[in-house]
Amino acid sequence: MPKGNRSDPGESKGLTGFGRYAGPATLILSSLADGAKHGYALTKDVESFSGVRLSPGTLYEALARLESQGLIEALDTDDRRRPYQLTAAGAGALKAHLDAQRRVAEVGLRRLAGNWGTA
Amino acid sequence: MSPAAGPPEGAASRAARLLRWYPRAWRDRYGAEFTELLIADIAERPRSRARTLDVARGGIVARLADAGLAGGPVVPARAGTASARASLSALACCGAVFLVVGAALWSQLTIGWQWSDSAGTPAALATTVTSAAMIALLALAMTAALPVLLAIAANFTRQLIIPAAVLLTATTLLFAGGRHFGNGWPGTGGHRGLVPGGLAAFEWATSLSVSAYWAHPGALAAFPAAEVAWMAASPLLLAVTVLAAATLVRRAELPPRLLAFEARAGLAACAVMAVFLVGCGCWVATGGQRSLFHAGVIDVAGVAVMALALALARQAARTAGAVSFPRDADCS
Repeated sequence: MPKGNRSDPGESKGLTGFGRYAGPATLILSSLADGAKHGYALTKDVESFSGVRLSPGTLYEALARLESQGLIEALDTDDRRRPYQLTAAGAGALKAHLDAQRRVAEVGLRRLAGNWGTA
Repeated sequence: MSPAAGPPEGAASRAARLLRWYPRAWRDRYGAEFTELLIADIAERPRSRARTLDVARGGIVARLADAGLAGGPVVPARAGTASARASLSALACCGAVFLVVGAALWSQLTIGWQWSDSAGTPAALATTVTSAAMIALLALAMTAALPVLLAIAANFTRQLIIPAAVLLTATTLLFAGGRHFGNGWPGTGGHRGLVPGGLAAFEWATSLSVSAYWAHPGALAAFPAAEVAWMAASPLLLAVTVLAAATLVRRAELPPRLLAFEARAGLAACAVMAVFLVGCGCWVATGGQRSLFHAGVIDVAGVAVMALALALARQAARTAGAVSFPRDADCS
């Protein structure tokens, strides 16, 4: 169980305020949802489930913002590759963001089916 | 999970070179793990222009954040008040550059006003607008500086001793030099005073270094040696003064409410600077009139520098104003 407990996951407003970093942030949080990972493992996992390869600069830009917001936290390690894990606040933000994305996807798919015959 | 083949020769040195794009605070926090990731990435993609550009862009963003000119702290430890203080320091530096260059242009206008009947001309409009804006700017600067100085005095620590001493010394020298060389103000004896002569003379003397005479060594050589020395030394003194003030703001423990007030004062100052810039811009755009109000290349360059300083100051003020503080934020 992740040790972060900064806020109630049910109260999160998602990733509002992340602007153009929302995309990488969503991918990183989704990757960390099944356990702590270091930078390289994050890159490979994100690439495997999304087809997106996060470049090192983009990855660490997003990691720094997520850590500053308390949505992820770094774990202590003697290794030079430091792992990160999701906090409770991060889990709440990811859930809220994905719920909003799902609503958008459902509307889009429904309208496609109604007007274009594809879904 | 690193590539089995291992990193290619020179990967570590290339990763170290890429890491230099980032500021020191960022490197201290993320440098080791970021280097590991870069080495692994180089092993997979030995040559990648996209990676170089991505790292360069990320490094520049981190440096802008470190300078207080971009949203978000450079590292988590600098979130909250530290991030706002960095932005306010950048705002102070940009505001100082604007003030010095603006004072040089404004001095030229006020001297012309002293000696010339310019009623109804663009120069008269520019002089009136810039004079009002300059006085408002100075009042705003003092309104913003006073509570910061009081907060610093109330919470003075050892790490503030050096910047405070440097600031005090440089300010004293600047004030003494400005008063001394202000005696040579060309507006003395004029018949149409618009602003107090002492203020105009002081601003003229402290901005003497912003001068086209640097491009004309022959004419400069005819000046008294002490005045040329002051023209060379005063910008250094100004730079030292501003950097010491910025260091104080970065290091001092300032409460979130004061930081929020300073950010609002900064935005107000930006609005006044915009008015000042419009006044100068109108004058320069018309090329000035008569010899006393003639606008030259250095004035065009001055307007460009002020526009850049204003843009950066506004960005810093907005960044400082956007910083959110935890309810129980301390001043660390």
